[in-house]
Amino acid sequence: MFRNYLKISFRNIWKNKVFSFINILGLSIGLSAAFVIGAMVYYDLSFDKFHPDGERIYRITTSFKSPSGEFYNAGVTVPLAQELHNMEMSELESVAPFFTAYPLYVENPETGNKFKRPDFVIYTDDSYFKTFEYEWLAGNEQKALQAPNKVVLSEQRAKKYFPNEELTNIIGKSIVYQDTISTTVSGIVANFEDRTDIVFEEFISLKTGITQDITNTMESGWDNTNSASQLFIKLTKNGSSADVQKTLTRIAKEHDNPEMVAEGRTNTYTMQPLADIHLNPLYGTFDFNDSRTTISALNSLLLLAVILIVLGCINFINLNTAQGIQRSKEIGIRKTLGSSRIQLVFQFLGETFLLTSVAAILSFFLSKWLLLLFSDFIPQGLTFDIFWNPWVLIGVIFLLVLVTLLSGFYPALILSKYKPVSVLKQQIIPNSDKGTMRKYLTIFQFVIAQVFIISTVLVGKQLNYVMKKDMGFKTEAIAYFRTPWRDVSYDKRKRFVKEINNLPGVTEAVLSGNPPASFTTMSMGVTYHKGDNEVNSDIQLLYGNPEFFNLYDLKLLAGRMPLNDSIREYVVNTSYLKVIGISDPMDALGKTFKANNEDLPIVGVMEDFNQHSLKYGVSPMAFTGSSYTDKWTQFRTIHFKLSNLERSDWSQTIGQIEAIWKDIYPDSDFEYTFMDDTVKRFYESERKTSILLQWATGLAILISCLGLFGLVIHTTERRIKEIGIRKILGASVVQLNILLSKEFLKLVLIAFIIATPIAWYGLNHWLEGFTNKTGLSWWIFVLSGLSMMFIALVIMSVKTVSSANTDPVKNLRIE
Amino acid sequence: MLLQLKNIFKWVNSGGQRVFLLKDINLEINEGEFISVMGPSGSGKSTLLNVIGMLDTFDEGEYNFLDESVHNLKEKHRSNLYKEYIGFVFQSYHLLDDLTVQENLEMPLLYKKFKGSERKAMVADMLDRFNIVGKKDLFPSQLSGGQQQLVGVARALIANPKLILADEPTGNLNSQQSEEIMELFKKLNEEDGVTIIQVTHSEKNAAYGSRIINLLDGRKV
Ligand SMILES: Nc1ncnc2c1ncn2[C@@H]1O[C@H](COP(=O)(O)OP(=O)(O)OP(=O)(O)O)[C@@H](O)[C@H]1O
Ligand SMILES: [Mg+2]
Repeated sequence: MFRNYLKISFRNIWKNKVFSFINILGLSIGLSAAFVIGAMVYYDLSFDKFHPDGERIYRITTSFKSPSGEFYNAGVTVPLAQELHNMEMSELESVAPFFTAYPLYVENPETGNKFKRPDFVIYTDDSYFKTFEYEWLAGNEQKALQAPNKVVLSEQRAKKYFPNEELTNIIGKSIVYQDTISTTVSGIVANFEDRTDIVFEEFISLKTGITQDITNTMESGWDNTNSASQLFIKLTKNGSSADVQKTLTRIAKEHDNPEMVAEGRTNTYTMQPLADIHLNPLYGTFDFNDSRTTISALNSLLLLAVILIVLGCINFINLNTAQGIQRSKEIGIRKTLGSSRIQLVFQFLGETFLLTSVAAILSFFLSKWLLLLFSDFIPQGLTFDIFWNPWVLIGVIFLLVLVTLLSGFYPALILSKYKPVSVLKQQIIPNSDKGTMRKYLTIFQFVIAQVFIISTVLVGKQLNYVMKKDMGFKTEAIAYFRTPWRDVSYDKRKRFVKEINNLPGVTEAVLSGNPPASFTTMSMGVTYHKGDNEVNSDIQLLYGNPEFFNLYDLKLLAGRMPLNDSIREYVVNTSYLKVIGISDPMDALGKTFKANNEDLPIVGVMEDFNQHSLKYGVSPMAFTGSSYTDKWTQFRTIHFKLSNLERSDWSQTIGQIEAIWKDIYPDSDFEYTFMDDTVKRFYESERKTSILLQWATGLAILISCLGLFGLVIHTTERRIKEIGIRKILGASVVQLNILLSKEFLKLVLIAFIIATPIAWYGLNHWLEGFTNKTGLSWWIFVLSGLSMMFIALVIMSVKTVSSANTDPVKNLRIE
Repeated sequence: MLLQLKNIFKWVNSGGQRVFLLKDINLEINEGEFISVMGPSGSGKSTLLNVIGMLDTFDEGEYNFLDESVHNLKEKHRSNLYKEYIGFVFQSYHLLDDLTVQENLEMPLLYKKFKGSERKAMVADMLDRFNIVGKKDLFPSQLSGGQQQLVGVARALIANPKLILADEPTGNLNSQQSEEIMELFKKLNEEDGVTIIQVTHSEKNAAYGSRIINLLDGRKV
């Protein structure tokens, strides 16, 4: 029986080559999208699932409330760990603080080998290993990090630093960080084999840190939160997380600064479950190189996969019910020969499964290619190998069955319903099938395609708008670079600027703080007294001098620049004036605002410019000189303007600057950024959305049009006799073409009418997220609608024109 | 007695009016009979055959087939009944185009769950009996009309039915081919005792049968 079905299936697939091709292609597009996206979901959800007590481990994080909103920090105040430790709470099994560190280099003194920038280095104590269970390959688990100047290495690091040594022999050997921090290896642990965000490789004992490199961080008090100061806790088996949270909230409250609270600034500690770390964008992970997905991004992608699969299934349903008429004969005969309806349903589902499987095989190859094509969107650790994971394979099979049912069940029901008597009576064409369902489904497909088209056009328009819009300061031909932060020599920076200024290709170079718009922002909380009223707000700080101000072409509206680089005088922007309710810039001059109990004078007012993505508005800002002259100075960035406007001419000048760098900072790498590129990077996520949308649109159009093409083939072939008669009666090719396409164009038009409000609603919502936005112009809709019509018409014409052109006599003779 | 129809009525409602397709049909058919149903076009011959074959329902009356009351049976039992005892032969053969002659013959056996070896033997036997061994791997489109109908009859016979229903089996054939099929029916009826009910327009074909039933406007005359 099975062989018989299989044979029929194959012959059917083969006989209807075009339809099978359309079905397989449509399904495989949806399936490969689902494979890749499913793999991403599986990948991202499978992080840190292997820790024996993983569900009891939490990271404590901080959230701040301030007048300008809520902020999050993955770290906590340093004393919190000690406080929790002292309380000896019965709910806590361990309290593990650690500090992330970024040494510049580390040396194996025995061999003299130096390793640049070792990553994933932390300062911690033995409680860390009580919280996370590692396999110890050498050394004493209990006391490895008790004494100062000890280090535990991961197996990989140990092998890297001591290439030809037995692991046990490495214990007791020393490595030296940055020539000053000498440590002895006291343990070696195996790297985690499964996916994890706990990526650390070198664990230096906490007591080393107190006397060394991170003293400052480690000694800070309750008023300072640094993301380098991390705290993990592990509950006891019956420990209630609610109780611990209560205690944390109480501690936070106790240590809140009353003055800050009065200004509306409070902070709280939250317990972030270990499982939440990977996908929660608020706090981030420890590996900054890997781009991170978020739950909401995964959800959108999943939705996309579902949509593409459904579109493919619709093609299948449409073409198979349309083809049903051809198959009704087989169905009738099978029934008179003894087949039950159930047997027929299974036969058709079997055929569908076969087709789906062929599509799946194709999809595997497509997936491999998609993973490469979309590498920008896909986490680095995700490779094609993930498909050999048994869970993923089970998922794939489950998906195939699901797709089979989704696309095969309705046609199977319809087809198996045909009465054998209609075959006996030789009324082969069942009159009940008017294709209403097919029409609905086709409309649905085109609604989706149409919404995608409109969205793509609008998102493209918006992206273009924000990228082209003036930021309010000059960005062309300006670049900047940060000097090494460990090198505190101000003279070296001064010398650097002077040497750049001597280069022929440079108009001007200045030493200042961060550029006017960047990813790093400094801000402080300020109070402005207006009569009896206090206005509390945050103000962003821009550190620079008059040359910097001019280099970026910032505009002074009133007053003057600060008198010198280190005097505390401020030039505020008009947005801040709005916050404090002053309309005439002249009125602001001579006023003061308060920060940290100091009165700070406003000496000037500058015009607003955008400090970050145009998605957001302009923040209140104050321009000032550096607050310190010593090693804490904010003047660490060198900005320079190139005299030539052509990008191609810049490389020589850049080369010269790099040579100067090599001379002044031989130990560090030269990394510079063009201001234009920084601005572009603000729109990274919108650009990605736009690219994904373009693909989604292309694929949705492709699948829908394939389906349309199939239906057109079907109807034209059914009407081939009519076409012949009409042609003999004198209809032209164009008239015939219109006749044949009319029905379908009507569907596309209906789809457009349905899609317009949906797209309008969704896009309006999307645009609301932007402070600076383009309009939802009417032409976007008209253009999108017309393109859809045009594409549909072209696709249909491929078939209709050729049918209209065939010799009418030939068509009539067939009967 | 093989089957018995008592006061069978079948109608459709069209424009508020009841249009009778079959009117008060009474009929008894014994095993081993060879019956020809005749009548003008539209008189209800095919309808009657479908009712007897249980492919179509009726609205009133009783139908007994081998001691089973068909009018009281559920759809599923009914189809089990005709699967078991009835073979159909069609005017336009209705072979499955995608299957070879051999595979077409095999199909009814598949639905009756015969074992692979049994099926092979039965198909081989049929091919032999109908002299079409040489054609077993051809597709229906590669056969002449007469040959196709031969396969159609062979397929109807392969599962040893008690009754063969044939609706104008020779309607698409030339006179020589018709004669061959009729001779075959006669032989099956006489030598193997198969009951046959055929619909035909030709007096000559009707003469092969033992009894003629005439229909006019859904009535037996
Ligand atoms: N489902 C139906 N609805 C309405 N009328 C029907 C239906 N089925 C059959 N008829 C009518 O019933 C009558 C008998 O049809 P039937 O097919 O039995 O005739 P027939 O005797 O086999 O004719 P022919 O010799 O042309 O095959 C015809 O007038 C036909 O139009
Ligand atoms: Mg008839």
